[in-house]
Amino acid sequence: MTASVDLADFLPAYLAEAEELLGAANRHLLAVEASVRRGIPLPRAVRELFRALHTIKGLSAMVDVEPIVSIAHWMETSLRHADRAGGRLPESSVEPLMEGLREIEQRVRQLAAGKQASPVPPGLLERLEALEAVALGTAPAKPAPVPLELEATLAARLSAAEREQLTTGAGPGRRAVRLDFVPNAERAARGITINSVRERVAKLGETVKVLPLSGPAAGGGSLTFALLLLTDAPDAALVEAAGGEPATVHALTATAPGPVPAPEPELPPSLVEEEPEEQRRGGGTLRVEVSRLDEALERLAALVVNRSRLTRAVADLTAAGAPTRELVAILQENGRQLRDMRAAIIRLRMVRVGDVLERLPLLVRGLRRSTGKAVRLELAVGDAELDKAVADRLLPALVHLVRNAVDHALESPEERRAAGKPEEGLVRLACDARSSGLLDILIEDDGRGVDARAVAARAGMPVPQTMDALLEVLCRPGFSTRDAATATSGRGMGMDIVRRIIVDQLGGELRMETRPGAGTAFRLRVPLTITLLDALVFECAGLRYAVAVGSVEELIEVDPARLVRSPGGGSGGAVTLVERRGSAVPVLALETLLGRQRPDGRGGPGAKALVVRQRGEPVAFAVDRLLGQQEIVLRPLEDPLVRVPGVAGATDLGDGRPTLVLDLATLGAARNGAASSLAPGSGRERAT
Amino acid sequence: MSVLHVVFKVDGAEYALPAADVLQMESFTGATPVPGAPAHVAGLVQVRGRVIPVVDARTRFGLSPGQHTLDSRVVVGQLGDRTVGLLVDSAREVLKLDPAQVRPPPPLVVEGARGFVKAVAQVGPRLVMLIDFPRVIGEETPDGDGKR
Repeated sequence: MTASVDLADFLPAYLAEAEELLGAANRHLLAVEASVRRGIPLPRAVRELFRALHTIKGLSAMVDVEPIVSIAHWMETSLRHADRAGGRLPESSVEPLMEGLREIEQRVRQLAAGKQASPVPPGLLERLEALEAVALGTAPAKPAPVPLELEATLAARLSAAEREQLTTGAGPGRRAVRLDFVPNAERAARGITINSVRERVAKLGETVKVLPLSGPAAGGGSLTFALLLLTDAPDAALVEAAGGEPATVHALTATAPGPVPAPEPELPPSLVEEEPEEQRRGGGTLRVEVSRLDEALERLAALVVNRSRLTRAVADLTAAGAPTRELVAILQENGRQLRDMRAAIIRLRMVRVGDVLERLPLLVRGLRRSTGKAVRLELAVGDAELDKAVADRLLPALVHLVRNAVDHALESPEERRAAGKPEEGLVRLACDARSSGLLDILIEDDGRGVDARAVAARAGMPVPQTMDALLEVLCRPGFSTRDAATATSGRGMGMDIVRRIIVDQLGGELRMETRPGAGTAFRLRVPLTITLLDALVFECAGLRYAVAVGSVEELIEVDPARLVRSPGGGSGGAVTLVERRGSAVPVLALETLLGRQRPDGRGGPGAKALVVRQRGEPVAFAVDRLLGQQEIVLRPLEDPLVRVPGVAGATDLGDGRPTLVLDLATLGAARNGAASSLAPGSGRERAT
Repeated sequence: MSVLHVVFKVDGAEYALPAADVLQMESFTGATPVPGAPAHVAGLVQVRGRVIPVVDARTRFGLSPGQHTLDSRVVVGQLGDRTVGLLVDSAREVLKLDPAQVRPPPPLVVEGARGFVKAVAQVGPRLVMLIDFPRVIGEETPDGDGKR
């Protein structure tokens, strides 16, 4: 049962990947064969072949195709030894390896045809296993292995090198242990997953191997991770690192920790250097094209979409009375795995804010020259990290704010001297990553501050009474505080674009504080990543839309009988109100905002409404039907033709058509125009 | 040196685009409307995992909206780093056009077609209009923010 569900979910992706890897494996094995014939070692091809098989094994384990896992495992093992022997492979090894690849290919084809993979042909594993001995013969002599106290099934999943590491790695005060971690939903909710356990355990010792074991586990789970470690930490600390009971610790070697002579000194030093290379690669940095990461995310997105479909299918089954308890449990586990996977990929996409801002000092240096002002740029960005997609959008806004600060806010050295300030002005940019997935950015200067009166005069408006109202005026499209466009700041984007980027595109916040004569500070808050989000999906006027769950305060029923219409007559017309916990909330018909009509021509607001805060005040957006909540991949709309306020991006709900992801607050403010001025609290002029 | 062109039809007339600017052609099964987008934008479609805007050639050329049929095609074009689709009535031909066949459009066409037609090619008895793709696609957004 487990197998069938996992297969349905992963099979298409698995088959594509396996096919590709098999192609590569074949190519490398042929190269190896040719080199063996000529008696020249070909370490690179051996290593590539090893990697391909290693990945095939991992993927096959995910979809539970045991025969392929076994074959790949033993092929991998013999290749690991060939790799350690400098890429030298005995000629007699080639044929069994060829046979192994053929058998794997055959099983992949069986799976593609919707059949079960047939069991491993008799004798193949033995022949492959024998290769290990052959290969070992070419490797340096090793000390006699100390027997590991490990179940045979587990031992079989360790390579010779790993077994050796465990048996020889234990020494005075250091022991080889098996730590069993049992994941479950409640632990995952507390952030205790195999990944966090791995990280914590890594601080206590050296992790040799992590083996996932399926089957009944302590505490009612169905999955256990056996972490095989070399450690000097006490059992209690290890159990604690694995989230406490029901985690358990067992010693792996009979030799008790203590002054037992360790075999370590006998180990030739060269052997240590010949550890398999995954362990050596640990600390390096890898440059990866963003497009490749996007591709990985794209594939993940397909999995997420598929899972949503699966969830719906299971819900239908459940509704029809089918026994789906186990299916539901598997789905939940699958959801957690996808989330972990997402987190892992998103971590790959993170760039250091410091690296993103590396051109700012150069910019300020240029401004110093062009403006003749003395400026010091202080960067305090720490080691905060940001999704590349966010960083790319954010940078122009930051550049603008810094440029503005130097160009408009800071006074000339003479003015500053006259005001009793140091001649050199200060622009400071500081970042602070918050645990909630948000990054706070502060850009402040010690310049002249924003003159609210002058701003009001320029905009032809009454003097704004609050900071937010003042910022609102500054962010009006086309607003400029300068009489003449200067070479640096007068062109290009204004504060309106800064706000567009921060608020509309990134879904962040922008605030300002200013004190006349003392300086101005802009506080930005942006999400660290914008790629995936939990969304509510609903239907309105015959189309589906999604909104970020986080932006919706409440879902309410709209009872037409209880709607109240405020008097019309003003420029905006009447406003419909609905009562919510003793206060009146304006109801906007979403289809009107979207400029659409229901296919059946029916009028009036929809039956459900999403309550969203629009400039601090609740507004209800009426829709026809709620379809549920699911995780979506947000694709920002880049093209100027479709970059419109209120549309955060598009997503694929599984039908291959883009579904719009709306930002209701912005949509309401942008599309409702004059009507919003009548709605309490939603007017643009209102100072919040 | 003749250049390969993709030929498509809108309201009975034939137009062409250099094949080098065309990424692919897709059949049209409907687009997701985008509120607030310019009127000539039919909406969004997903093409091989990418979400791209589609411009309705009929609306853009000021013609009556036509029925979308099995023949309707989205000509997916590359414009710098933008990828934009053009919805046309049909597209099923490629032609090699020799520069000698191509002439500037008559002044009346220049005025009437708002610069969308940049040349006219004579192909036997047929007249094929070479369109100015960037102009047809346009950059207009409702709030006039074309700059970044």
